[in-house]
Parts: sequence; structure tokens; C-alpha cells
Amino acid sequence: MTATERILSRRSLLKFLGAATSGMAVRPCLWPDAATAQDPPRANALEPFTGPGPNSHWNSVSPYSTEPQKAPLLLLTDRPVQLETPRHYFRTVFTPNEAFYVRWHLEGIPNAVDLKEWKLRVEGNVNKPLALNLPDLIHKFKPVSIAAVNQCSGNSRSRLQPRVPGGQWGNGAMGNAMWTGIRLRELLDMAALKTGSLFVQFQGLDTGQGPEGFGSHLFLKSLDLTNPVLDECIVAYLMNGEPLPMLNGFPVRLVVPGYFATYWTKCLSWIRVLNTPDENFWTKTAYRVPDTPRGNTTPEDAKAGIKTVPIERLPVRSFLISPDGSSKIPAGMSVTLRGIAFSGFGRVIRVEVSDDGGKNWTAATLGADHGTYSFRTWEMPWTPKSPGRYSLSVRATDEKNNTQPDEPVWNPGGYLWNRIERQEIVVGNAD
Amino acid sequence: MKGRTGAIYLVMCTLAITAAVVCADLKKGYYTPARLGSLQQAATGDFSPDSIYQVSAYPVPALDLAVGDGRQDVQIYCNTCHSLRYITMQPPLPAATWESEVNKMNKTYGANVPEDTTRKITAYLQAHYTPETRKE
Repeated sequence: MTATERILSRRSLLKFLGAATSGMAVRPCLWPDAATAQDPPRANALEPFTGPGPNSHWNSVSPYSTEPQKAPLLLLTDRPVQLETPRHYFRTVFTPNEAFYVRWHLEGIPNAVDLKEWKLRVEGNVNKPLALNLPDLIHKFKPVSIAAVNQCSGNSRSRLQPRVPGGQWGNGAMGNAMWTGIRLRELLDMAALKTGSLFVQFQGLDTGQGPEGFGSHLFLKSLDLTNPVLDECIVAYLMNGEPLPMLNGFPVRLVVPGYFATYWTKCLSWIRVLNTPDENFWTKTAYRVPDTPRGNTTPEDAKAGIKTVPIERLPVRSFLISPDGSSKIPAGMSVTLRGIAFSGFGRVIRVEVSDDGGKNWTAATLGADHGTYSFRTWEMPWTPKSPGRYSLSVRATDEKNNTQPDEPVWNPGGYLWNRIERQEIVVGNAD
Repeated sequence: MKGRTGAIYLVMCTLAITAAVVCADLKKGYYTPARLGSLQQAATGDFSPDSIYQVSAYPVPALDLAVGDGRQDVQIYCNTCHSLRYITMQPPLPAATWESEVNKMNKTYGANVPEDTTRKITAYLQAHYTPETRKE
């Protein structure tokens, strides 16, 4: 068929005649037949759910919702609130507060906090229990700041095969902020721990409808007092230099650099020193991963019963943020590939990109270093010479020499996903 | 009559060719119907300079749950601790997974749903939210 014939296919002509005879405005252009040319992409919404195969989209397929103090974000659940950050917000090294993802476990999320009444208490197995208000925290302690990634344990859960129940996050259950507050260690020292102290437990203002003694009633997390991460923890009252949004834990939240967000208690109000192991559900039973490399197992082994350990540090990950595949790139045009990388085990020292499905890798240029636990931006100019479908892969390596693998991971909780990300980019003819 | 149709056809062809030649490789003004949905701007509170820091209520958008036996039990019992979007958010899950999810609510989270209702809830989820049964 010649170009003219294509354009003048019978269907287009009928369309044209139909429009003309019904007295509607006639467009100056004809639509090429759908079979021989492309209709403009439709502006329809994504499918309402994905599965049983993996979710192939960067984000989850959730609709947008606008919550208090938030930009429109992707709504996984509304009560309690779980919101995912859309991909484009990761173009900057710090994730804006209004776009920062949200994940609560219990439906009783505070709508209001009265700072005249509110206190941060340090209690339990201590010689000097503390009850500090916000001005105390701000003025009586030396403020410290740290850039740290907060990532949900279940980030990217919708990638797993077979799919597992739980929050069906795409990649947007993560964010990086500059957290400012006081050292947890200072509070513990001031409270003077009694001998025999073993764990420190954290509790926020959220409560659930479930009966007392169950995980559906209170969300509690503990850390072992011998864990060196306690020296890096801060109780943050500023997030990117501003008060925390209520949904991110106003007035203060715990920051556990390098650790998954399950430990970052929001609306932190009780710090409880325990002289016994913590038997509560969220510490003892939930948020555990197989004691295997990468926390990987199979449904069969999980069913048979395997040794598990609490989830802790963020495995190394990296992402391509733009281009995001939402448009074609003309062959021969130079574009800048941009993205982020992070690791909870040490600073990211290398990010590499492959445009041939992982055969050859080229090192990207890393952006400014904001600290070990921060996002690290990266970029790389890319000029696809010929048209076609390119699979761009990106992988990061941290200073402990952990590199992202290309194998998937599976465990019953849907945790620790850090496989190499891929993005298909279509390069078109430019002439 | 036949000749006249042919003549119109010819005229249209000529017009079409002219139009096509002018802008064969352009395409614009193509729209498609869409639903605006219910994405609203978040309200800000009516603040006063006191010590109370508040935000407006967290929105719970309406949700279409599959119609069928047991739906009302789901709406009453499951909705106590969490919204029903927890169900529709899931990928299609095998029948056995739904059963263990419902059991988890009772045993792990202490939901204490009566036994016959538990069975009805499980049957409802299996009837509408497995790979074989899920439609919406």
C-alpha cells in the first residue's frame, strides 16, 4: 500500500462520509486505518487491578486521592491510609513532604495533636522517666540532621510471583528526606537505663479496633539495645526542614537510618525500655524474612516452615526515573537518563546502565553525596542510534560491594525486592 | 441514484486526498470520553493559633464491591478494622489464600467473627476475587 492508499482506506473514508453527511464538523485530517497506523494513545485509566501475573507498571495501578497536607498520590487503601508516591517525584534527591508515601497499620490515625498535652515519654526500665514536650525537644537538645531513605518493607510487593497478599505497592513506597531532630541515645542516656535492660520499644499515637494484646490494637516495634543502629537513630521533628505532615508522623517520628520503615514509628510518643524480650505481634511475629540469602524462599519451603529473622536493612536498589517510557524518543536524539540509588548497607559507589538487556554496562555519573543513607542521584547521556525497542536496565553497587542481582525474590511477606529494574523505551525513526 | 452516489463518492475522494496531502503526517484534536472521577482538592482546616494541630478528615472514597451472597457480612465485619479497599487492592488470590487471610483476621488479629459468618465471608471472597472469578 502507498501512503495515500493507507490514509484513504475504506474505513477512514466511511468515517469521513459519515461525519460529512450527518452535518458534523469535518476535520481537515483523516484517521489512518487502525490496522495500518497508530491511533493516538487513549487517555484511559490503567486497569483497576493487576495479577495473577506481576504488576508491570513502575507504580501500583491505584487511583489518585488527595489526603490532608498531601498532593494527589496513589491510593492503595483509605482506612488506614496507604499512599504511594508517583514516579516523577523521584527526579529530585529529596522527596517533597507533600508527595512522601504513607503507610499506616491501624485505622485510628490522629487527626489532631494538642501540643499543650502531648509529651514524648521515656519510661520502663529506667531510673529517671522522662516526659518532654516539643519545645523541650527543640531547645534542650542539640539538633542533628541526617538524610535517610525511608522505604516500606513491602515496596514493590506487586512484582512477586506468585503474588502475595498485602499492600500491592509498585516502586513508590519509598522516599528520601533530610530529617532533623535529637539523638535517641541522648534520650536514653538522660533516662538512665537500669541494669538488665534488653530492648527499647516504640509506640505512636495510632490505635486500632482490635482487642487488647493483639496487633490490631497497637502497633509496637522494638530494637535490641545492643544494636549499633541505635547510635544513628534520631527522633525527628523536621522533615526537609518543615514540620512533619500528620500522615508522616507529626509531631515526631523515629528515624532508623538504613533500616526499613517498619521501625520508623510515626507520632512517636512512648519510648519504653524493656528488661524482657518484646513478645508483641509486630516485633515477634510480623516483619520477618527467611534467614536465607536475600530473604529468598519458595512457597513450598515457606509452608513447610523455615527459620526467619526480623527484617532490617535496605538491600541496594536503583531506579530509572526518566525517561519513563511514556513517550517515544526519536533516533539520534540525545536524552539524559536520570534516576536514584540507595543502600542501607553503605554508600552507593556505582550505578551502571545497560541498553542491551544487561550484556554491556556503562557507568553513570553520580550526583552529590548527601550521606550514606540518602538517595544518590545518577545520570547518563544516551543517544540511541537506530529505531527499535530498547530495554534499559540499571544496577547499583554499594561500598560493601553489594550489587543488585537480576534474579527475583520471593518470601511470604513480599519483602526485600531489589531485582535490577528494567524500562522499555521505544525509539522511533527520525526521518 | 446509483450514479449520484458515485459522484458524491468521487467528490469526497478528491476532498479527502487534498486534506490527506496537506496533513498526512499530522494528527491533532483527538479526544476520548473520560470520567472525571472524584479527585478533589484537600480541604485545609479552619486554624486558630492555639496548641491544637489538626487536619481534615481522611477521605474514604466510595467503593464498588462485587454483588453477591456474603457481601453484607463483609461490609459489616471486615469494615470494622479496615476499609474494604483492602480487598479490591489485592491481586486475584487463590481460594486457599483467601481462606488463610480470613483465618488470619480471626486468629492473629482477634477479629472474632462468628464461625458461620467466617465461612460466608470466605465463600464470598472466593466467589469474586480469585484468578478464576475476579471480574472487576
